[in-house]
Amino acid sequence: MPNTDAPMKTVASQPHIALECRSLSHWFGSKRVLHDIHLTIQRGQFVSLVGPSGCGKSTLLRAIVGTHLPNDGVVQVHAKESSIPPSPVQGPGRDRGIVYQHYSLFPFLNALENVAIGLKLDQTTLADRLFRWVHWKRSRKGHLEEAAAMLERVKLKDAMHLYPHEMSGGMRQRVAIAQALVMKPEIILLDEPFGALDEATREELQKALLELYEENQQAKAAGQLPDYTLIIVTHELNEAIYVGDRLIGLSQYWDWKAEGHSAHPGASIVYDQPTPIFEPHSVRDFEIFEHQRAAVRQEVFHPNHLQPRIAPDSYTHPEK
Amino acid sequence: MIRRPIASTIRIILGLLSVALMLAGYSWLSYRQHQKNPKDTTIPNWSQLSEGVQRSIQWNERLEDRWLTDDAMATLTRLFAGLGLAVVGSCVLGIAMGCSQSVEAFLAPPLSFLAKVPATAVIAVFMALVGLGMKMYLTMIVFGILPSMAITVYQSVKAFPDELQYKAYTLGASHMEVVCNVIFPYVLPKLLEATRLMIGPAMVYLIAAEMLFGDVGFGYRIRIQSKLLNMGVVYPYLALLAGFGFLMDSLLKTLQKKISPWFDAQH
Repeated sequence: MPNTDAPMKTVASQPHIALECRSLSHWFGSKRVLHDIHLTIQRGQFVSLVGPSGCGKSTLLRAIVGTHLPNDGVVQVHAKESSIPPSPVQGPGRDRGIVYQHYSLFPFLNALENVAIGLKLDQTTLADRLFRWVHWKRSRKGHLEEAAAMLERVKLKDAMHLYPHEMSGGMRQRVAIAQALVMKPEIILLDEPFGALDEATREELQKALLELYEENQQAKAAGQLPDYTLIIVTHELNEAIYVGDRLIGLSQYWDWKAEGHSAHPGASIVYDQPTPIFEPHSVRDFEIFEHQRAAVRQEVFHPNHLQPRIAPDSYTHPEK
Repeated sequence: MIRRPIASTIRIILGLLSVALMLAGYSWLSYRQHQKNPKDTTIPNWSQLSEGVQRSIQWNERLEDRWLTDDAMATLTRLFAGLGLAVVGSCVLGIAMGCSQSVEAFLAPPLSFLAKVPATAVIAVFMALVGLGMKMYLTMIVFGILPSMAITVYQSVKAFPDELQYKAYTLGASHMEVVCNVIFPYVLPKLLEATRLMIGPAMVYLIAAEMLFGDVGFGYRIRIQSKLLNMGVVYPYLALLAGFGFLMDSLLKTLQKKISPWFDAQH
């Protein structure tokens, strides 16, 4: 269970914030995995999380999803409406969407049903479906229409009735993204979503994410809160910089002795910087961020380059 | 090369040839037996078999019964009732064990033990516990197949990917909805497959019980007619049992393909 005594700054939701991690630490027996993670993710940010193998990226993501709660610290999800208090994560919930690399879809449902299932589970109950047939039929029609519109948006209009085993890997991940988007969660978590795809499909899906980012920018320009906030865990550094607008490096290679620890306390955040923004239809040129890529390799991935971890809330979002 | 594909016409011809060889072999055996003893009924010839079939389907004025329909009605009622109970029971127990570690710890050891005990060996215990009649037949079938089916369902639930479960929760599902809307459809084809595989054992247990305690039913009729060496009746009954098993298997296979088209592709 999370330590709810950890200091929290807020009592009411801050609409511009989507997610906060405070003093988050996790360990398995004597093995320390995460140490004192502080993270505030602004609404509309696309955060890429990178780090060496075994640094705890997945553990951090699981703590945010709520499937494996941290031993210490809290994760809080903020609502868009400031009247709703932020909710500490106690388990997986519909305010956080997740897209996995494998098992991203329910195999027994076709694309349309896969996208509509969230609406069904969220907006109706078992009792509704069993005993309030007329209401359920009407809701079902609406859900399928909404799901169809979402699939059309991710360019899968012609694949609505295909089952996951009949789709390519890229199509499956598109449906999985649509499945998460249709629920309008506060934040969407992508756990190495394109890891098993070929380069061309990967690029196509990266551009699909950039389209969502572009919509965010348009919403901001119109004075509205952006709809999509995203954390993408990836082992592909180019992808992390290309898709995200903020890059977080989680690493076990940091100068923990300087903080007075007698043993390694676990991985912490050692890099937190904005990344260049790409437009979905612009040329994908990784040379542009060669300098940043080299810096991340040095500061996050290099076992001999030990430096202090990042101070909590030191990240400042650049005005773009 | 092993497993080299063959044309479908060759497959059909080979299948028909195997049946024709079987019938020809039987005809030859029957012919030889009748050469030795023209009145033999242990390996009846085709006309004796035809007489046996007619005897099974004709109305018996004295006893006011028709063997085949009465026996089929009795056996199928018992079989379907037993199978139904076993399928529902194994589904509930298997899913409960797969979803709750407490239920798993409580039920997995006894079910694993009971799955190894042949129901026919416990028949005397059933007789003492539930008496004769319908209860006995149902107990035989349920005891015989439920433990194995429940374990199959349980293992299928255990193999359900955690990611899909977590995803269901992030889509707003309650615990009960995860079970009903996500886990149940996932294990349904496995349940149908287990049912298909268990039709044979269920029939074995039922026929054994009918042979020992029945006064109507396929098992009873086969026992009585075997004692009288009326194999002209017994063999058509056996052929009917096999045909019924084959039909049920095909129907369940079709049903599985219809409601879980994804399953074959995944496995």
